[in-house]
Amino acid sequence: MLVSNFLIEVTYLKDRVVISPTSRQEGHAELVMEVDDEGIVTKGMYLSITPVRGLEKMVLDKAPETAPVLCQRICGVCPIPHTLASAEAIDMALGIEIPKAAKLLRKATLAAHNINSAAIHHFLVAPDIVPDDSFAAAVDSVSEIRKNVQYVVDMIAGEGIHPSDIRVGGMARNITPFTKERLVERMTALRPKLEAHIELIKNWVLEAGLPKDLGVVNQPLLATDATYGTNEFDMDAFSEVLPEAWYDDPEIGTKACSVIPLINGTNVETGPRARMEKYQGFKDKGVIAQHVARADEMLKNYDACMEALDALDTSASARADYDPRGTGELGFGIIEGPRGTNAHMAQVKDGKTQFYSAIVPTTWNIPTMGPATEGFHHEYGPHVIRAYDPCLSCATHVMVVDDEDKSILKNEMVRI
Amino acid sequence: MPLGTYKEAVSARSTEKRIQDVSQDGGIVSALLCYALDEGIIEGAVVAGTPDKNWRPVPTVVTSADEVIEAAGTKYSMSPTLSALKEATRQYGLEKVGVVTTPCQTQGLRKAQAYPFSRFVADKIKLIVGIYCMENFPMASLDTFATAKLGFDDLTDASKMDIGKGKFWLTKDGEDKGLAIKETHGYEQAGCNICNDYVAEWADVSTGSVGSPDGWSTVLTRTDAGSDVFSKAVDAGLIETKPMDDVKPGLPLLEKLAKGKKDKNKKERERRAKMGVKIPTIY
Repeated sequence: MLVSNFLIEVTYLKDRVVISPTSRQEGHAELVMEVDDEGIVTKGMYLSITPVRGLEKMVLDKAPETAPVLCQRICGVCPIPHTLASAEAIDMALGIEIPKAAKLLRKATLAAHNINSAAIHHFLVAPDIVPDDSFAAAVDSVSEIRKNVQYVVDMIAGEGIHPSDIRVGGMARNITPFTKERLVERMTALRPKLEAHIELIKNWVLEAGLPKDLGVVNQPLLATDATYGTNEFDMDAFSEVLPEAWYDDPEIGTKACSVIPLINGTNVETGPRARMEKYQGFKDKGVIAQHVARADEMLKNYDACMEALDALDTSASARADYDPRGTGELGFGIIEGPRGTNAHMAQVKDGKTQFYSAIVPTTWNIPTMGPATEGFHHEYGPHVIRAYDPCLSCATHVMVVDDEDKSILKNEMVRI
Repeated sequence: MPLGTYKEAVSARSTEKRIQDVSQDGGIVSALLCYALDEGIIEGAVVAGTPDKNWRPVPTVVTSADEVIEAAGTKYSMSPTLSALKEATRQYGLEKVGVVTTPCQTQGLRKAQAYPFSRFVADKIKLIVGIYCMENFPMASLDTFATAKLGFDDLTDASKMDIGKGKFWLTKDGEDKGLAIKETHGYEQAGCNICNDYVAEWADVSTGSVGSPDGWSTVLTRTDAGSDVFSKAVDAGLIETKPMDDVKPGLPLLEKLAKGKKDKNKKERERRAKMGVKIPTIY
């Protein structure tokens, strides 16, 4: 469900503009903007209103291999990052060192998927940035790119949407030399089209008339790697608070369906721009910069995919034997997904998953996105939100139990 | 029509010695796959691979004539061939796939092609070579034939397996031991008793020994794809043919066996239906 079919309700209260649900994003969220007499946003609040999935509870007391299979169903937009984060977390929780070939196959898969996801985002923001007479060309370009990179995911990981062949311990099997050759050939043919696409998008973004400083925030960046992710996570720096404690407005606090994760007590920015700034020397901030960084990152992912394919030994084993009983230690699966850092954590003991938690990219960004709308006219609010490419299905993590007053009666879903 | 829809019925055999040396009968399956591979009609095929010492057939993806020939010959237990189609169309990277199937597997595959639940798998299948099949045995049944019926210590002691002259044969230390086919009744998998298809009616091309002399196979071409690849292989000199009317026992025997399976299993279907058991639809 990429494009919401729901009627979007824009409510003008005395000094508040409420957009619910925000459109052209996955899942449902609400943007609440307090505005002054000129319509300039003085306070922005963004909150998820997507119902909880509860996958983290479903995997408990089950065999560890269940986690990647179920957790990829958190969402069909980011199934690859969720499967990978889940598999990596379980790998670590079982003490598995996966074969080099498996790691390369996983890297190629994620890189291809991230290109696909950026292209989908270009489709979503096309009505904002693409001139009417170029719309068909833009959609064609998006489709052409997606068709090719999804082919890579299909071949390596089994399915382009919910990958069947990313497994605990590595991959179901290695690809054949014939397949490697075919993928390299296809990707090589894609490169000029991808470069042209990136140029087109960047030009359209720059010519869309968006204010230069729109959406500029100065929050700390969350990114663990330039492309794939490293399974290192500083639990000491991490904390999370319930939305009731975060949002000033108690009504919004009880309505919001996601916890607020913090690093060193502060909300962060994650995503392509954060990665590009941290690892590639990208300097600009704000909405335009986010679009440009996302487009430029497509080429970084392209190179990462080709490097992984090039380094792959197709005759090597891609799956490790392992002991499924578990180490009892907390395992981390940190994947740099299209929208930012996706952290899955798992603990396995006596062959059963004892603990599971996922802190996903949009959850990190939610507390940062609202304030990012401040200082500009509220009509730019949706542009700011879309620049983060939010994806709410997996970001939702609070169980609302009481139907009467919507208060959160149980929140053990989120307890670490 | 006990043989289903077909364009042409001929008796045929491979002209290649290296196929004749290893084939069960006329080597038609191997000849067709080799030709289709060499001509790029398919990039690979999923077949029931040669069993190892325990006689369990392993679904195998083959991409060269050598691999086809290595996998030649009948297998006497079920091969979950369709399970390897995903692998063939993914990690093997095949866009045009051939597959050798029993009648029941052919039906499953055609359903997969008709209904969109096998994304980028069923649509890549370009050639289905069906093989005649009366019934098939689970591995446990083969074990029983070897140990309880023929006095072997273990099935793995058998060096050769065959069905012919009304018997199921196992060879050990050069000595053949036969079990009358009627002794095997009741040991086939239960589904075989309600199957109405003997000659893989939904394949592109079907083949098997019945109706043709020793060393030859009876071929039924059914679809344009099947007819095309068969006639081209004949034109290329890889397969020689004789009209069915010129061979003994000829098409009447094939029709008799196909009709016999339908009649016998119709009774079993009716018996099961009376008990309220659900019966698969016959197409």
